[in-house]
Amino acid sequence: MKILVALKRVADPDNANKVKIPADGSTIDTAGLEFKPNPFDEYALETALRLTEDGTKPKVRDGEVIVVTFGPADTESTLRAALATGADRAIRVDANDDQLDGLLVAKGLKTLVAEEKPDIVLMGKQAVDGDTNQVGQALAELLDWPMATFAATIEEQEDGLVVGREVDGGVLELSIKYPAVVTVDLRIVSPSSVYSTKTDRSFKYNEGVRFSPLPAIMQARRKPLDTKSLADLVDDTGLKINYLRFEAPPARLAGVKVADAAELVDKLKNEAKVL
Amino acid sequence: MENRLIDDRHIDFLLYEVVDAESLCELSYFSDHGRDTFSLYLQQARKLAREVLYPTYRTLDLEPPELKDGAVRVHPELEKILPRMVDLGVVSATRPYEVGGQQLPFLIFGMANAYLMAANLAAYGYLGLTTGAARLIESFGSEDLKSQYMKRMYSGEWTGTMALTEPQAGSSLADVATRAVLTDEGHYLLSGTKIFLSGGDHGITDNIVHMALARIEGAPAGIKGVSLFVVPKKRFDGEDLVDNDCVVSGLFHKIGWRGLPSISLTFGDRGDCRGYLVGEAHQGIRYMFQMMNEARLMVGLNGASTASAGYLEALRYAQDRPQGRRLKGREPGAPQVPIIEHADVRRMLLRQKAIVEGGFALLAKASALQDRGEHADDERERERASLLLDLLTPIAKSFPAEWGFEANTLSVQVHGGYGYTSEYLPEAWWRDQKLNSIHEGTTGIHGLDLLGRKVMMKGGQPLMLLGEAIAESVAAAHEAGVEGAWCEALQAAVATVGELTAHLGGLGMAGDPEGMLLHSDDYLSLLSIVVVAWQWVDMAAAAKRGLARGEDTERAFYEGKLYAAQYWIATELPKTTVLAELCRTGEDSYVRIDALSF
Ligand SMILES: Cc1cc2nc3c(=O)[nH]c(=O)nc-3n(C[C@H](O)[C@H](O)[C@H](O)COP(=O)(O)OP(=O)(O)OC[C@H]3O[C@@H](n4cnc5c(N)ncnc54)[C@H](O)[C@@H]3O)c2cc1C
Repeated sequence: MKILVALKRVADPDNANKVKIPADGSTIDTAGLEFKPNPFDEYALETALRLTEDGTKPKVRDGEVIVVTFGPADTESTLRAALATGADRAIRVDANDDQLDGLLVAKGLKTLVAEEKPDIVLMGKQAVDGDTNQVGQALAELLDWPMATFAATIEEQEDGLVVGREVDGGVLELSIKYPAVVTVDLRIVSPSSVYSTKTDRSFKYNEGVRFSPLPAIMQARRKPLDTKSLADLVDDTGLKINYLRFEAPPARLAGVKVADAAELVDKLKNEAKVL
Repeated sequence: MENRLIDDRHIDFLLYEVVDAESLCELSYFSDHGRDTFSLYLQQARKLAREVLYPTYRTLDLEPPELKDGAVRVHPELEKILPRMVDLGVVSATRPYEVGGQQLPFLIFGMANAYLMAANLAAYGYLGLTTGAARLIESFGSEDLKSQYMKRMYSGEWTGTMALTEPQAGSSLADVATRAVLTDEGHYLLSGTKIFLSGGDHGITDNIVHMALARIEGAPAGIKGVSLFVVPKKRFDGEDLVDNDCVVSGLFHKIGWRGLPSISLTFGDRGDCRGYLVGEAHQGIRYMFQMMNEARLMVGLNGASTASAGYLEALRYAQDRPQGRRLKGREPGAPQVPIIEHADVRRMLLRQKAIVEGGFALLAKASALQDRGEHADDERERERASLLLDLLTPIAKSFPAEWGFEANTLSVQVHGGYGYTSEYLPEAWWRDQKLNSIHEGTTGIHGLDLLGRKVMMKGGQPLMLLGEAIAESVAAAHEAGVEGAWCEALQAAVATVGELTAHLGGLGMAGDPEGMLLHSDDYLSLLSIVVVAWQWVDMAAAAKRGLARGEDTERAFYEGKLYAAQYWIATELPKTTVLAELCRTGEDSYVRIDALSF
């Protein structure tokens, strides 16, 4: 089993108050921001690791997990962190954030898929900065591969996956054949949401993504990390999405305290008009 | 927002802007490391602390261990938490590759593990003790002891304890009375009772390895007749593990660290408790001493972490709690202001900040000295680092404990009446903190150690090294543009320490050790204030350099350092004059008062 995981680093959402937009609205000022991996992509990596192991023996890898990111040189620390978590090797496609959009990333991934020939491409359902939710779908289309988005559960089969997708009102099960594109949702890192054929169904993972033990952090320094240029992967590196202007959302107004339930109902009815 | 327990930015500031952690990677022992490994390890510890350890803190505090049918049962949550800490590599992180470690600098280890302590001191305690116990075997034990016991401790399969204290031998370990009798088979048979043994029984791992002090039959009296033994709960009989006659004879009801049992343990009730001598006979205390700096820095970290958790909780609370109005321009009916607007609440917060961050800075400096003292490639550098560390250790242990306790008191105080209820956490940290001035040597003992031994060692060399280090910091501070008056105040205090120490040393030489040591605790306080003022001058210099880089988002952070530095220097340093006067004049009320007159 070979899995390609696409990973993006995003400005730490906990530091949202530090995001600055200059008066002309031309850009988002990222100076002084802390970055961390997009949480949904971290879940995708966790999923990939669960699919390439027997959960009871996580130190024995069975398969290969390659992480790829598109970004400037300092995104290598994100890749190193992924290697320390358990990925086998990493690829960085050199590009600045403002040279990228979802379609371009999908095209770059398509070329990488042709080179690497993975059985599955995994990624988060969306990145929590732009929230565009496009790359997985665009990639599946470009590759003409089966796709399952918003995965909450995955079970490995001989020739494909059974994926439980988050949909309005429940979970929809899909059977898909390899090779395939899967994007994951929050619940994919629950204790019994992902099973490889090796992992016994009674096994339960720890909630959330795994930690990187210190020995693995040390090993990550010696794992391969290749760099490629965007132009090597994509002929036309022009952007299809252009941002016209950035604006901060309006500041939240102060709340009011109501004296009793009657006043609350009155306000909901007559001021907010929601009742 | 949740309590972050320790401010990440402050720790990164200390590591990369104040003590230059990366320069340790130039030493061959640490050469496989770099900022990437440091920050990944820190990240993991932070996450584990916040997501796994902290959520169970109150649970462990409310449901302490129980003793049933001779066995201690701890909270079942610990069965889940401990393996996760072990998996991170916490137990053996600093140890050499040969014994399964990763040669991580103690500096990084300490600052990362501080998060685990802040999140759940008791849970971390099991592993902290295990590291300490295994280290003793690593340094002084035979190959057999290493392969049978140390390995399994470093891998986290078994835990370890320190079995030193006995009812009549607490501060005075020279009075240890547990007996060891050599048998024909080469092992010893132990008999006696240890008390306050932390993590002495728990049922989480298959075995527990006690590092016990005992007196070999016929050994000389006093400190030179105490030996160190490995006394496992279960010993090897061929390949099998069999009971080794260690009986849990009591479980202490404690006011803090309630997730970690402290027990009394009786060796040899049936005459079948085997102990394996570590190193040579009668060297037990010397061996313990060689490990002590590190163990004491760990206690200092316990203290700084616990104070930090309380401080950040109080800060959060003060921003949220509306009460009262400003002194100026108060209008009836105007909304109440958050209490952080009140000058006196700010005083309490800034004092906590100065203690917590000053404490961490001191620990960072001491930890870097520990790393250089052990691993500098140059012998002279090793020697100098160790000497200075010897001097700083009693302060790095007791400052975070004593001033940290005050900080935890202030955290309760900021919470007002709510702080006095167990609905809120500050009271729990306050209870936890108190232990840090008692275990690993009481503050009283450290005062005696500092004045009676450390500053007098090697013709006063350690104190000279301290003077030199402070002079270097002051020069750098001047260059960075730090307030000249702050630097002068610090240097004046250093001069006072020098004169006072010479005076007290003179009394000692003249055969008056009692006069010399009468105010050892005041001397410890005095030097603590000065050493922490040194940290604040260092941090002020780093903050000035930071401000000069002109990044807007960092301004508030660096300015905070300058205000805390100003606070410490303006409010604490002047106290050294009074303390020095007490030491010099030998104010004698408490020695002259008759015991009947109390
Ligand atoms: C929760 C807890 C956990 C512990 N865990 C362990 C453990 O795991 N292993 C272990 O071996 N021990 C452990 N201890 C024991 C601890 O190290 C001792 O309590 C400590 O060394 C003090 O000894 P003591 O209690 O006998 O007090 P004492 O030595 O009786 O001291 C009482 C007071 O007298 C003062 N004093 C004593 N001698 C002198 C002197 N010569 N000059 C001036 N003042 C003096 C002390 O400063 C103190 O204020 C633990 C204790 C507690 C409370």
